[in-house]
Amino acid sequence: MNATNLAATSVGSAPIRHDAADKVIGAARYPADAVPADALHAVVVFSNRPHARILTLDTSAARATPGVVAVFTAADVPVNEYGLTMFDQPVFVGPADTGRSSVAADISRWEADQIAMVVAETTEAARLGAAAIHSVWEDLPRVDDTDRALAVDAPLLHPENGLETNAYHHLNIRKGDIDRGWAEADVTIESTYEVPHQEHAFLQPEAGTSYIDDDGRVTVECTGQWIHEDRGQIAHALGLSDDEVRVIYLAIGGAFGGKEDMSIQIVLALAAKKLAEHGEHRPVHCRWSREESIVGHHKRHRGRINARLGATSDGIITALEAEVTLDSGGYNYTSNKVLGNAHLSVAGPYRVPNAVIHSQAVYTTTVPGGAFRGFGGPQGAFAIECQLNKLAAELDIDPAEIRRRNALHDGDIGITQSVLPQGVTATEVIDACVARSGWEAPLRPAAPFNPIASLPAETGAIRRGRGFAAGYKNVGFSFGFPERSEAEIHLHGDGDTPDRADLFHGGSDVGQGAHLAFRQIAADAVGLALEAVTGHFSDTATSGDSGSASASRLTFMAGNSILGAAEEADKAWRDGQRPAVGRFRYVPPPTEPLNPETGAGTPNFSYGYMATEAEVSVDTGTGHIRVDRIVSTHDVGKAINPALVRGQIEGAVVQAHGYTLSENLQLSEGHVTTPRLSSYLIPGIGDIPEVVDSVILELADPLGPYGARGMAEMPYITYAPAVIAAVHDATGVWFDSFPLTPAKVLAALG
Amino acid sequence: MVANAVQIRLSVNGESHDLEVEPRTLLVYALRDDIGLTGTNIGCDSSSCGACTVLVDGRSVKSCTMLAVQAEGAEITTIEGLAATSDGDGLHPMQQAFHEYHGLQCGYCTPGMILASVSLIDEYPDLDESGVREGLEGNLCRCTGYNNIVKAVLQVAGKEA
Repeated sequence: MNATNLAATSVGSAPIRHDAADKVIGAARYPADAVPADALHAVVVFSNRPHARILTLDTSAARATPGVVAVFTAADVPVNEYGLTMFDQPVFVGPADTGRSSVAADISRWEADQIAMVVAETTEAARLGAAAIHSVWEDLPRVDDTDRALAVDAPLLHPENGLETNAYHHLNIRKGDIDRGWAEADVTIESTYEVPHQEHAFLQPEAGTSYIDDDGRVTVECTGQWIHEDRGQIAHALGLSDDEVRVIYLAIGGAFGGKEDMSIQIVLALAAKKLAEHGEHRPVHCRWSREESIVGHHKRHRGRINARLGATSDGIITALEAEVTLDSGGYNYTSNKVLGNAHLSVAGPYRVPNAVIHSQAVYTTTVPGGAFRGFGGPQGAFAIECQLNKLAAELDIDPAEIRRRNALHDGDIGITQSVLPQGVTATEVIDACVARSGWEAPLRPAAPFNPIASLPAETGAIRRGRGFAAGYKNVGFSFGFPERSEAEIHLHGDGDTPDRADLFHGGSDVGQGAHLAFRQIAADAVGLALEAVTGHFSDTATSGDSGSASASRLTFMAGNSILGAAEEADKAWRDGQRPAVGRFRYVPPPTEPLNPETGAGTPNFSYGYMATEAEVSVDTGTGHIRVDRIVSTHDVGKAINPALVRGQIEGAVVQAHGYTLSENLQLSEGHVTTPRLSSYLIPGIGDIPEVVDSVILELADPLGPYGARGMAEMPYITYAPAVIAAVHDATGVWFDSFPLTPAKVLAALG
Repeated sequence: MVANAVQIRLSVNGESHDLEVEPRTLLVYALRDDIGLTGTNIGCDSSSCGACTVLVDGRSVKSCTMLAVQAEGAEITTIEGLAATSDGDGLHPMQQAFHEYHGLQCGYCTPGMILASVSLIDEYPDLDESGVREGLEGNLCRCTGYNNIVKAVLQVAGKEA
């Protein structure tokens, strides 16, 4: 549906979000705030072993602990396997593979494999019970990183997949004639990039409550990113049909990809069901501590990218080679999907005539990698943008100009040997970023920088510089994934036209304000004021499947579904139906998996384009870096709500700032050793860029609702390479890995 | 099931509450679990995030750093009681500003951020942008990038950003 010509009254305006009123008075109900008075309290027990086989699990002392009501283990799980894109993880690790899972269920493959849930009258009793669980393990050789995993003598972590290696998912690109590409190259840039883990650090740790609802459904109230996928995974593990399970999201305190996979949902559902079978009809509540959260859920993938770029002396790319290795940790989570996005991003929004790219996801016995804002894009973009910046420096060509010379245009063939979706605006965002930042003028002076207030500033130690990066980000899960989004609208009224509408949608508002954007789109589509549209959201009992709040897809997909539902409701209204009900399932143009050898295919139907300029001050005496200004430039197609779009840019920039400079997840012998916000440092208000200048372009996507593109990941993706180019400009040093902690910077400056 | 319980009386949002708590009970748990004021959120276990910030005699305190028994005799204000401390029958000006300036997204840090900001302005009525940044360093937000929070606080301080 092309709705760019629809009348827009609500769309394009920035009304106050309807949930803000509750959030400023403390009335928003997060799962930990909605604990029924008669609830039991549950604690999840981790294996605490990166790689080991469980021999015995004795829960008798736990069950005998005062206040403990029940202990659930692998023996209680009907189908002991789960996973978002493949069932490669046991719900509980337990002794003896009972044949109820496709993966050996007696092996812990990371420290937070779950072995039991203890349910008790109080959390304290549950913790005492958990401490009384006795397990005996046979330790197996740890596989601490991908180097170890790829060694010929490495233990196979998932032999059930039939492969002879821990590298279990591969993607290739063979485009053009790579030998000719190198022959045509006047210069070659070759580097190895190391990208770090990142923890989501959503402020609200995982929490939820399970019970049997009035219709007999096993119900979980929790937070997440896709109610129907959660329901599907719960139903699978519990051996139930989807209709026998209900998932409801309460207020969600951030997600960023970190709530895309299961944490406590399945085991909570299991507990409620089992208790009910034994006549105990009390709800079960579980809330993770920060430490449990950081240890217990996946991270942005760390990885390594070997990259080689050839170009003419005019800076025109002739050849690109890349080898992308992502650390999946113990289980796949969404690694295969993230890898695909890294695979496409490593070529950037540029014309690359000749390319050889191989990307692989590799199992280790560490914390799994998974979804996190950007979804593989930051890793891939870091490599290509650093390569281009090095090329520009080598050839003494302006970094923005070298991108213009190579940028993709409408009608161009992309890296997957198919024509890009219409609406390629790489050049437009580069030009807009150049214009807004004054890129062609001398670097502006900045305020004095004295990172350690108690010490006198060292004269002459401050160096300033600036850098540039550009990129693109797709919408959706790509590669043939069956994308869809469903909406339902009811129109009410006694007159000729409706005076009120109900909107039913499953899409998850993780904090970004999606539910307000949905109502804005619905209001315009049915011709009502925003206040006349009531939303009913995120309950599988009332909503169709919206797909996930991830991959920059939600506004695009949900918006189109709402427009379709409005059209159906309007027809029903004109047919005299009261209330007039419209249901619609939006299905975007199909995508396809890449050819395994050549990478040829059409993986996506829409992209957004962005560019970032960064200005920094580097204290060469202490290694501290201050980001003086960021000009974050995005073609969002259409800003459905400009205030929310700006909020996404400013928030993504600060998350990427942490990724680039301070967030430093540490692992030791397979264990996360920075499991608190006191040791894992996300940016505070004193750490952020001095100025974040958000530049919003609205160049309509032909398929997007009102022309909107997906945008919430874009500001993240180009941040690290732009800052690292600025640090190079300031110091003459290229950093091929990060975070740029003061110690790392000082060491490199020598 | 309260071991070594002690009787305390807490004054919260102008109301008196007689509680039986363990001596080690943190103020945040007394507020949430015993009094039922769940607007005060818990975001970490290490006094790092500030989501649980409340006012104790008007000064911001991370309620995970104070024992409930230590709060006896003080007047505690949580996010639920903030509006009543200002003139008029609507929101407190700081709540109003966070609302209007889009100073929140997921909202989890918001109660603590608002109360820390109220205390900050009360102590330093004349503060500027760098003062806001310095004064709110103890409160983490993972969504907004802080920009709209700074704008909201400056607006209340009478210094439109």
